[in-house]
Amino acid sequence: MRVLAVSNSGKYYGDLEGFISRLDGVEEAILVTSDTPGGNFSKIYRVGDVYGDLLARILGEVGEPDLVVGIHTRKVLEAVAYLAGARDMPIVTEVVGLEGMTVTRNILSGRGTAKYSLSPPAALTIAPGKFSGQLSLGPPEVMELGEKPSTVVVDRSEKSRTGVDIESAEIVVGVGRGFKEKDDLKLAFELAEALGGEVGCSRPIAADYKWLDEDRWIGISGKKLRGKLYIAVGISGAPQHIMAANDVKVIVAINKDKNAPIFEYADYGIVGDLYQILPILTRKVRELRGV
Amino acid sequence: MDVGVAVKAALDLNVLRSNPDGTVAVENIPLVISEYDRNAVYEARRIADSTGGRVIIYSFLTWWPADRKEKDFENVIREALALGGDEAYVVVDPTVSGSEPRFTAKVLASLIKKYGSPSLVLTGEASTDMTSSSIAPYLAATLGYTVVTFARSLKVSNGGIVVERDVEDYIETVRASLPAVVSVTGEINSPRLPTLLQIRKAFRKPLVKTSLSELGLSPMLPKYSDYRLVTVKRKRVVLEDGSPEELVDKLVSYLVEEGVLKR
Ligand SMILES: Cc1cc2nc3c(=O)[nH]c(=O)nc-3n(C[C@H](O)[C@H](O)[C@H](O)COP(=O)(O)OP(=O)(O)OC[C@H]3O[C@@H](n4cnc5c(N)ncnc54)[C@H](O)[C@@H]3O)c2cc1C
Ligand SMILES: Nc1ncnc2c1ncn2[C@@H]1O[C@H](COP(=O)(O)O)[C@@H](O)[C@H]1O
Repeated sequence: MRVLAVSNSGKYYGDLEGFISRLDGVEEAILVTSDTPGGNFSKIYRVGDVYGDLLARILGEVGEPDLVVGIHTRKVLEAVAYLAGARDMPIVTEVVGLEGMTVTRNILSGRGTAKYSLSPPAALTIAPGKFSGQLSLGPPEVMELGEKPSTVVVDRSEKSRTGVDIESAEIVVGVGRGFKEKDDLKLAFELAEALGGEVGCSRPIAADYKWLDEDRWIGISGKKLRGKLYIAVGISGAPQHIMAANDVKVIVAINKDKNAPIFEYADYGIVGDLYQILPILTRKVRELRGV
Repeated sequence: MDVGVAVKAALDLNVLRSNPDGTVAVENIPLVISEYDRNAVYEARRIADSTGGRVIIYSFLTWWPADRKEKDFENVIREALALGGDEAYVVVDPTVSGSEPRFTAKVLASLIKKYGSPSLVLTGEASTDMTSSSIAPYLAATLGYTVVTFARSLKVSNGGIVVERDVEDYIETVRASLPAVVSVTGEINSPRLPTLLQIRKAFRKPLVKTSLSELGLSPMLPKYSDYRLVTVKRKRVVLEDGSPEELVDKLVSYLVEEGVLKR
């Protein structure tokens, strides 16, 4: 089997190698990357940026693969899905599991899963962090490729970042639209500090209101949590948000609407006004922990 | 300039149901407009108004059985028309039982080519039920259009488009040529609820239904199987009676008991 792997960052080579090494009978795995070459692939195409029409051009040179496997980042997803369309191949995105030639992916914004049986040629993207391993096809020959993409990047600005890593935090206090203004978030920061945890948020708080940096955004399109305690405050409990906390040991919800879906996803819930509850909770945690 | 929008009727996540064997009871789940497709319609309206053109809605009913889903599906299309669409072309076909991006994109491409061929087509960044984010690029390749995904802002200028695109750690501004397919994020605008008048008007706008065979397509059996709900195992202890002090005391003692809050 011949595989074309696609990445826009070196940090995902292990994911791609891990996935490909779980497939049967792979003779050749060619990597297309816009980052520094690495990994034990058979051959590497180094490109300036990953685009669909560029992938199609590379296929013109190397011949048709049985599988195209990209990492599930936005750039690579766009490129791989475009390539699939150009070659009339099926596409499955954000794969989280593999058994034989059957892949599993999340559906229903995280509330469900579905299986898909691959019959080559096919294209897929794999979720980061689900596969890891090494290939033994290298050392690879590296080719540089110039490009003329049909979309031209005219500007690029880095998003502002707090630098916190809520994905590895043990305790996270999440804030949502229940907070009336940006200033009020200090109630959550005080609680997080008393607990020795970090503050995270729902998508609108980061992306719409821009009250917090996007590295605090929790959800299927943001960060996933896996610590021991998540306290969701003023968050309604949309699956796109709360399913990203499914691996957390204990989930607490504070919401003034007793019918809010968040209570379905919580171990403990307080029906109440966050403006009343948070200061009391912070005081009691401080007393308890002596901080 | 005419602007097309692909609008999906998605399974309503608020009323998911499963069969006794744990599989998703698709037959019994209502359909609603896929959340970010509202943003796409709203954006299309804005562009069509500023450039002088129509907003054309395209949709393919993928959930089954078609006869039981048709009413919800029509409501979704009427909602899209109320939000800013001028006319709609849709596929409702009793032979369909599920789809996958490859087939959905083919159906949408056929609809687009047959009805209007707008040079700009918008989609949502991801559908709420399948969340594959692959329809826009797949469709673009099928139509031979350029593609830009995850747009946070969109401008038509000098016969092309300028898009601010959200690529994880960066915002990239890209210039692309038309015709193009663009997927939009939920942040691109804030759609207002349609007014009563807009809803009433939506019922008088053209909604044209067609079938796969009329588009010259044969039905395809998707290779998806075993749709299942993830089981959420939580204790669901809800504290609501008592003063705020008492509620917090109870919560704190539970958290100590769980070992997640230490003295
Ligand atoms: C494809 C897609 C991807 C998405 N990805 C994400 C994602 O990654 N992360 C994410 O978070 N969302 C995501 N969303 C959005 C998601 O669907 C919800 O819209 C969002 O999570 C809602 O945020 P919220 O809970 O803060 O706001 P709301 O839904 O508005 O909830 C606010 C809550 O606060 C409560 N409240 C109000 N006042 C008080 C008070 N004084 N005290 C206590 N409670 C109060 C209300 O009862 C309400 O339940 C996505 C959506 C789509 C379609
Ligand atoms: N069956 C469909 N009919 C019309 N548009 C669709 C359909 N499926 C997906 N789309 C469009 O493609 C976007 C992304 O969907 P998905 O690739 O499923 O995440 C949606 O937001 C819609 O705009």
